[in-house]
Amino acid sequence: MKIDRRSFIKSAAATSAVATATSLFPGISFASWKQLEGATGMIRWEKAPCRFCGTGCGVLVGVSGDRAVAVKGDPACSVNKGLCCVKGYHSVQALYGKDRLTKAQVRKNGKMVEVPIQEALDIIAAKMKETIDKHGKDSVAMYGSGQWTIPDGYVASKLFKGCIGTNNVEANARLCMASAVTGFLTSFGVDEPMGCYEDIDYANVFITWGNNMAEMHPVLFSRMLAQRKRRNDVTIIDFATRTTRTSQASDKSILFKPQTDLAVANAICYEIIRNDWVNWDFVNKHVSFHKGKTNIGYGLEDKFKFKDKAEGIDFEQFKTFLKDYTPEKVEKMSGVPARDIRYLASLYGDPTKKVTSFWCMGMNQHTRGTWINNLVYNIHLLVGKISTPGNSPFSLTGQPSACGTVREVGTLTHKLPHGVVMKPKARELAEKIWELPAGSIDPKPTYHTVAMFRALDRGDIRFMWIQVTNPMVTMPKLKRYRDGALKEDRFIVVSDVYPTPTTDVADVILPAAMWVEQEGMFGNSERRTQHFDEIVPPPGEAMSDTWQIIEVARRLGFEKQFPWSQEEYIGKIWEEYRRFHDSPKHNMAPYKVLKARSGVQWPFVNGKETRWRFNAKHDPACTSGEDFHFYGKKDNRAWIWARPYEPAAESPDQEYNFWLNTGRVIEHWHTGSMTRRVPVLHNAMPSAYVEINPEDAADMGIVNGEMIKIISRRGEVTMPASINGRGVPTRGQVFVPFFDEKYLINEVTLDAFCPISKQPDYKKCAVKLEKA
Amino acid sequence: MNRSERNTSRIKLGFAAFCLSWVLLALPAVAADNIPYGFDSGGEKIFTRYNETPFSAMSGTDGRRNLNSFYELRQYPGSPPRIPHKVFPSFSGEQADCIACHGRGGYDVEQDTYVPVTPHPENELCYQCHVPKLTDELFVGTNWLSIPPPKLGNSQLGGSPPPIPHSLQLRGDCIACHTGSGAVAGIRVDHGSRGNCRQCHVEFLATEPALEFTRNK
Repeated sequence: MKIDRRSFIKSAAATSAVATATSLFPGISFASWKQLEGATGMIRWEKAPCRFCGTGCGVLVGVSGDRAVAVKGDPACSVNKGLCCVKGYHSVQALYGKDRLTKAQVRKNGKMVEVPIQEALDIIAAKMKETIDKHGKDSVAMYGSGQWTIPDGYVASKLFKGCIGTNNVEANARLCMASAVTGFLTSFGVDEPMGCYEDIDYANVFITWGNNMAEMHPVLFSRMLAQRKRRNDVTIIDFATRTTRTSQASDKSILFKPQTDLAVANAICYEIIRNDWVNWDFVNKHVSFHKGKTNIGYGLEDKFKFKDKAEGIDFEQFKTFLKDYTPEKVEKMSGVPARDIRYLASLYGDPTKKVTSFWCMGMNQHTRGTWINNLVYNIHLLVGKISTPGNSPFSLTGQPSACGTVREVGTLTHKLPHGVVMKPKARELAEKIWELPAGSIDPKPTYHTVAMFRALDRGDIRFMWIQVTNPMVTMPKLKRYRDGALKEDRFIVVSDVYPTPTTDVADVILPAAMWVEQEGMFGNSERRTQHFDEIVPPPGEAMSDTWQIIEVARRLGFEKQFPWSQEEYIGKIWEEYRRFHDSPKHNMAPYKVLKARSGVQWPFVNGKETRWRFNAKHDPACTSGEDFHFYGKKDNRAWIWARPYEPAAESPDQEYNFWLNTGRVIEHWHTGSMTRRVPVLHNAMPSAYVEINPEDAADMGIVNGEMIKIISRRGEVTMPASINGRGVPTRGQVFVPFFDEKYLINEVTLDAFCPISKQPDYKKCAVKLEKA
Repeated sequence: MNRSERNTSRIKLGFAAFCLSWVLLALPAVAADNIPYGFDSGGEKIFTRYNETPFSAMSGTDGRRNLNSFYELRQYPGSPPRIPHKVFPSFSGEQADCIACHGRGGYDVEQDTYVPVTPHPENELCYQCHVPKLTDELFVGTNWLSIPPPKLGNSQLGGSPPPIPHSLQLRGDCIACHTGSGAVAGIRVDHGSRGNCRQCHVEFLATEPALEFTRNK
């Protein structure tokens, strides 16, 4: 750049003007900030878990008057040790979108009208009563979320399962973590990870299975990178179907064809056995071998039923089963070179290396989600790398309280806060704690999420209350379920903080208190329960989801079950809920402890948190006298499962020739209803796009930004192409983030699910592309 | 040199450069090939170097980075700033790319500016907290209000060293932001050679009330 006379004088003048201004008014900022009037600049800091993903970072919310004005990472929280991600740092701005719902609305003659919230609650209670009288108790349903606080989920379960007596309680965590749960239950007999985030500080090898951690769990990913920088013995391998920021930051990126992770996991076991890297001492003492049913279907038809049956096998049978999965055979199926499979096996097999596997939606949103969870546990169990610091098969969660609320409180159709509805003992315990007559709880599960929305479409369900989630963006094969919700004689209540496509189909909208506008608890991926106070008041008539349910329950005549005052209900609910987990396997910390600390891990026994479960040195529930005790299963062993490769529900063919993969981006949380209202986040990621492999794009003559129609057998959506953008899919695959309600990618996706977990596969269906 | 003297000298310098450039333009017409004309030994080299170096590179500031633009990139005092320049759409993922400039600072020709230095280079995953701006539009308007940024100065006695008004979490490296040409002029110290900053400057957060001292009895 050359300087001429004019620019010289101009820049000199600019410099001096600024210098003069800052010297005249030291400390005065001219930035275009809208400032809180009369604020002294003083802040008080209050602890909370972050509102967004399942990592569960501790944040400190800065409060001035009754407004949240700043965030910093909570140095006292062991999850993130003072660091957040861009969503966390700007999370408080999500409270202040201009279109925040502050009043209840009711549909009258087709139009939404504002009413006092008490009137809306009357209408809800009356409608529930009327629907139950007319169509039976199983015609009303509650659909919640892994973003429900623990008290939210607890009172929902108590009202619906206990008081009303219907098992129509589900949560969006079915779309998110169900395969992780069934994976844990089938392999270990109890839910949730044996390890914790501290494993990151000890592991030498990290393998991310279909998991773009750099964007989805950035704080944990940066903990991994920090370890790699600090120690020179850390290797990160990204095993995925798409090149992402995680692949770019890893030491090696291995790409596989969609669905073939099943085959690769088996090939790793094959290699471990062939090289005799098996930890025989561990396997002989702590492992048993099993097989289940095969050709288990995809759940595409209404009223699909499936029940797996476990059959014991011996090691030799397991070895024979693996013969189909030699690295060479699997290379042909998966596109992963045999030498890379051997390399992965050698990392798991090397007795000097501690290995942590991470996964999240790639393995869970999978029509064989339970199986692939089992298969990764198989690998860790064969080499005995489990339940010790650094050796950890770790299932990450997507939502802040998918573990805390949905999995632990059990807001799924078959679950109770302790045990399942099918077990008489579990029902008796719940009836006792809830002070209900024996037989109040129905022993039969009703609908899992996809089946529940199908029942709404058919008319078997007439009333649905949706809290803290946005199914009219997130349900697969969306059109059927939106049409179903809009049918005559369906009554939809939506509790939310902003208008969404789901409030668009509502008959009643309740304004909800958001995050730190209410007291509550979340539970993160590593069994950590995190309490937060009401830090700022909710706007207008907004009310916590817990209190909304209590108000309706009282109107239905269940005052006895919901007796608490608004001042102390959260603490009382917590202490009541805690009674369900009164055993060293699952003890929860008392309310007082939760209030004082930045998260407490369960099992919390004799004042101590449990870092590694099943390990006798760390877990007080181990009673076998051995170094490990897998007490979840009746045989006191962890189960290795022979699970074969089976194809996806829908694979590309001549006509629909691309795989469609969907997911998230770092800036946006789920459907973006909160994060898109945060200026920094929306400015950085204003709209969704379809990522196309550059060679596929060149073949079709598609250029960056061109509008592309994505067509499947279910529907179509048109959006701009992204070539060599944030991520690069392999050839024959496209990727679309689902946060943008303008481009509803779930119009296109398929509602096939894992027959064991009932979790849909959002990562695989067949589409074709056309220039729009 | 006070400010007005400095400005005058800048203008003088500008005038000199202006005159010189006319000389330079006139030169080729009269000088034989490859023979420097009118310069001392190496004089032309020095002048060319001068002429090619943007003003900002000589003055140590481009005049664009000031406290105002500093806060403009932030949502509240202490929030991670946005990335104010273009980054590759893939945002590379090669963390070294950010650190290449923001690790040590210096002058960046492409953007004609001095590069601010990160106070926490140990965090490699830059895009975890820092994102660019692809649009100015909002999805929905916001009622967000911020508190004022901390006032500068705040010396307790006339001339005493001012306290540190911000939290040191992730911003504990004083040298990164308060010294060098990448520092915002308004908060740059003129005694950068003294290494032990916290010998004289102590944390006294503008956002938090002072703790009252009470004696244990």
